[in-house]
Amino acid sequence: MLVYNFTLALRSLRERIQLTILMVLAIAIGIGLLITVQTMSYQGDKIPLAHKADKIFFVQADNRDIGAEPIVRQPFMTYLTYRDANNIINADTPASKHTTVWKSDVILNSFDQDVRPFRASTVVTNNNFFSMFDVPFQYGGAWSESADRGAEPVVILTKESNDLLFGGKNSVGQQLRVNALTVTVVGVMAEWNLGRRFYDESYRMGRKDTAFIPDTFAIKNNINRRERLDCLPQDRDKQTAYRTKDVDGLINSECTFVRLWAELPDPNLADQYREFLTQYVMSQKELGRFPRELNNYVTSLYTMVTLRNELNGSRNPLAYIAPLFFIVCLLNAIGILLAKFMRKSKEVSLRRALGAKKWVLMTQYLFEVLIVGVLGGIVGTALAYLGLQGMLHVQIYQSDYAVTAQALSHAFALDWVMMAKSILTAMVSSVVIGLYPIWRVVNIAPASQLKSQ
Amino acid sequence: MEFRPILLSLKQNKFLSLLISVQVMLTVTVLSIATSITVETLKAWNMPSGLDHENIVSVRTQFFDPEVNLANAIVNDVNRIKQIPGVIEVTPNQEIPFDAGRPSKVYLSSEQDAEGFDTNFFDMNVDGHKVLGLTLIAGRFFNQTEVIQSSAEQATPVSVVMISQDMAKELFKDHSPLGKTLYLAKESQPVQIIGVYSNFMNGERLNGRGKSYHTIMRPQVIWQHGNNPNYLIKVEQGSAASLFEPITQALYQTPGRYIYGIEKLTRTQKRMYDGRGSQGAILLVVSLVLVLIAGFGVAGLVSFLITQRQKQIGIRRALGATKWSVIRYFIVENSMLTIFGLLMGTLLTMLFSYLMTQGSGQSFLSFSQVLYCSVFIWLINIAAVWLPARRAAKVSPAIVTRSA
Amino acid sequence: MLRMENVSKIFRTELIETHALRDVNLHIKKGEFVSITGPSGSGKTTFLNLAGLLETFEQGDYFLDGVNVKGMSDNQISALRNEKIGFVFQSFNLIPDLPLFDNVDVPLRYRGFNRGERKERIENALEIVGLSSRLKHLPTQLSGGQQQRVAIARAIAGDPAFLLADEPTGNLDSMMAQSVMELLEKINDNGTTIIMVTHDDQLAKRAGRNIQIFDGQVSDIALDSSDVLIKRA
Ligand SMILES: Nc1ncnc2c1ncn2[C@@H]1O[C@H](COP(=O)(O)OP(=O)(O)O)[C@@H](O)[C@H]1O
Ligand SMILES: [Mg+2]
Repeated sequence: MLVYNFTLALRSLRERIQLTILMVLAIAIGIGLLITVQTMSYQGDKIPLAHKADKIFFVQADNRDIGAEPIVRQPFMTYLTYRDANNIINADTPASKHTTVWKSDVILNSFDQDVRPFRASTVVTNNNFFSMFDVPFQYGGAWSESADRGAEPVVILTKESNDLLFGGKNSVGQQLRVNALTVTVVGVMAEWNLGRRFYDESYRMGRKDTAFIPDTFAIKNNINRRERLDCLPQDRDKQTAYRTKDVDGLINSECTFVRLWAELPDPNLADQYREFLTQYVMSQKELGRFPRELNNYVTSLYTMVTLRNELNGSRNPLAYIAPLFFIVCLLNAIGILLAKFMRKSKEVSLRRALGAKKWVLMTQYLFEVLIVGVLGGIVGTALAYLGLQGMLHVQIYQSDYAVTAQALSHAFALDWVMMAKSILTAMVSSVVIGLYPIWRVVNIAPASQLKSQ
Repeated sequence: MEFRPILLSLKQNKFLSLLISVQVMLTVTVLSIATSITVETLKAWNMPSGLDHENIVSVRTQFFDPEVNLANAIVNDVNRIKQIPGVIEVTPNQEIPFDAGRPSKVYLSSEQDAEGFDTNFFDMNVDGHKVLGLTLIAGRFFNQTEVIQSSAEQATPVSVVMISQDMAKELFKDHSPLGKTLYLAKESQPVQIIGVYSNFMNGERLNGRGKSYHTIMRPQVIWQHGNNPNYLIKVEQGSAASLFEPITQALYQTPGRYIYGIEKLTRTQKRMYDGRGSQGAILLVVSLVLVLIAGFGVAGLVSFLITQRQKQIGIRRALGATKWSVIRYFIVENSMLTIFGLLMGTLLTMLFSYLMTQGSGQSFLSFSQVLYCSVFIWLINIAAVWLPARRAAKVSPAIVTRSA
Repeated sequence: MLRMENVSKIFRTELIETHALRDVNLHIKKGEFVSITGPSGSGKTTFLNLAGLLETFEQGDYFLDGVNVKGMSDNQISALRNEKIGFVFQSFNLIPDLPLFDNVDVPLRYRGFNRGERKERIENALEIVGLSSRLKHLPTQLSGGQQQRVAIARAIAGDPAFLLADEPTGNLDSMMAQSVMELLEKINDNGTTIIMVTHDDQLAKRAGRNIQIFDGQVSDIALDSSDVLIKRA
């Protein structure tokens, strides 16, 4: 019976092939846009470093003025002072590792006169960064702890910067200059597909950082701070100097600019860590620091990203438009389906008169809409692929070709999950739109249509 | 008009009628939201630049070697660039047209609560106006003695400025700005306005506030390590692209620097608009596809309704309906459904725009937009019924006697 | 009055030509009650369609109330049909979506009567057919006979000069057929010319004049004393 119904369904689809094509297209176009938009937000919302996102924590303690604005969006609170970050790192905490991050722009220039100098967006950090964040290396590896302690002139390059400076060769041990300072390459990173750049809280997808240098080295040599300095009133007029000149003043100031990340061996230690942080801030309060009430946060990477996603969620108008668009497409398909089925009223009433049971007819028509749904899903997935490629190219155009398709493609990639979702959505919605037309057609009274017209 | 029979007949075809109305409702919602956002994003989009941007080159360069003597470097740079065949004029600059940074405020009085006026400062040498090709509207351009060339530490503030036409209009309405004084910051020394030049585009930020041409030109070239001037270069017609390499080479003659970017101002202009432009384009393409689909859908549903009512149409024809009254019947019927859908759609649009702007608070919705979209969709729907209705009018009245 | 001179109707399909009517010459006077009989497929309906301006013809002339309809535009023909002719069909042909009142209203709207006049005419017509109490019913809520009476009401509401009926009793049982026939006779008594196609010889005989059609050709048989032209092609 099922096979018979299936062949009947196939025949019926072939019978008025234009209508079938129209229906498939209607579903496919709707699915295409929906999955395009959903894939973008799915990829965009993916948690970077997912396998340890619950063990990596962002540490914040509010060292602002009493009159400062209240905290409304926690992840966007200020960072730590250099002093506090180091105090915490050196204290006895439940964390197994700590790393700090601040950003700079340096000019990388080779001793080879043929290689023109270029500006590198630079991460200033310590050696734990590379193990905490699972950075893959092509050549060499992270600098040693002693390099951190000794403020050694070392640098880690990315594939891009190594290509520019050394033609992609293994450059470990080679020398180059960071601004006017001679440094040695200790490692070259392999392609690091982080998704979004969470560690500097920019959550950017495109342009990557291209150099990594030790914090101690940067402070010792006064590498400029490309950070917003948030200072207590007594330091506010020195902000400009702190950014570019007075590094000693900065590290002893009440200006925040350092991001502190902690890795806990067990997520459950977070409370213990919070306890520690409270104690630390209380002890500093006794020294007359931290003028405000306690606003400490120890937030897992997972939570940070989730909060961020929520904030971004409603930005894209297409996220609102796509579902409406999809519904319109489905309504269209209902119209076509109804037209198609009602044309067969006579046939159905005849079949009913000849003894076809309702559910038998029902399965035939269900097969028919399901086949349409699957086809719509497949074509829709193909359209979504094209849509995502289109969006990728729009994104590249918008960035004025500063990012490569390769660097961005992961954000516009259709994976198995989304493909399955696409086809499943198409099938479910084809059944939903089929409900009313099928109900109408199987409820035609037997032979009612057989008399006049 | 035959509203009553149409309504009665719609009552018998509730589902299909509802299908058309809901489709119209959703379509007008999407279209209204999309066009409202697009109009809002594209407001002041691609305005006249006031510049010959295809023939102006912008170079951004920085020194990383703190030992470089910036004063000499700048003099050398300007001389070297000027000697390149094809280069007409060159000026050091800070802000770049189409890419001006955070706006500053200027004041007409030194009082604490004086009203501030948004603007961008363009610092250039005496040739700056030639590079940008500005026309003198009133007063005069700077002369060499007025130009401050100095390191940041030793710089004295300028005493004269020029302002753009639009800036003049905002500051002084119809009065002449010449000889008037201006405060370039709170608690600063006043400066004198010596001339007014033709408008040119500042950048995205003020453009977004409807102040695209509000600029002030200061005769100064100030340098500092980490913040030294860039260059704007006027070149001969059509030669810009071919001069990138010679200019780059000329600049690299001074060691200890890198060049961050060299481009025509046309490209800078593209960057200023491309984000908004492509977002607008995506929304418009999506909504046009939607209108198309909905149009086809309505045409399909109407033609189904007509096939179902073949007999009825024949009866009407037999009872004296002209072809036109058959067409009119379907147009009126469809318009009733459409208008109902449009009304519901307007409500839905308001709901959505409320949901979408809950975070940001400012509404993008414009009612005239909704109205235009409604009329547009109505016209599309009339077009969509037109063909099936014409087919309906061709139904022969003789079918009424063909029983069976 | 209605006059046809040498009217022929040929149906052309891709395969064959059917001469549905050949050289019909006929004169029907005002106030006549004419029945048309003939075997199935002989051209009765085609004749009625031509007479009722539902179908165009290629040859001959047709005068309706003295006007030659040949060469009239579709709009003129529609108006003429609306004003001069009422139809009653075998399958009733009521508009299923509309209640009785609005069904009867259809031709009156095309006529351009104002609201008050339409209402009066509808109520009158429904009263004549004895259905005044059921204005709001849908056609499907009525029996066949009742539906046919509504159709008759719709046909006469505009006071047409001619009432054309194609087997008006074909779908009805004899009781109902009887009452419909009586109704038609009553209408004829009021001066409306009636042309009725029927299979039922009994009914055909009740008409004042019977026209027989065989294979598209008309032979006219007078059943009463009124003068009748017998013309054969
Ligand atoms: N629309 C048409 N197209 C082709 N042939 C037709 C059409 N209408 C009627 N005929 C043919 O014309 C002839 C007369 O038909 P009709 O007038 O309906 O006969 P009757 O009503 O007497 O049964 C028949 O042979 C029929 O097949
Ligand atoms: Mg017949």
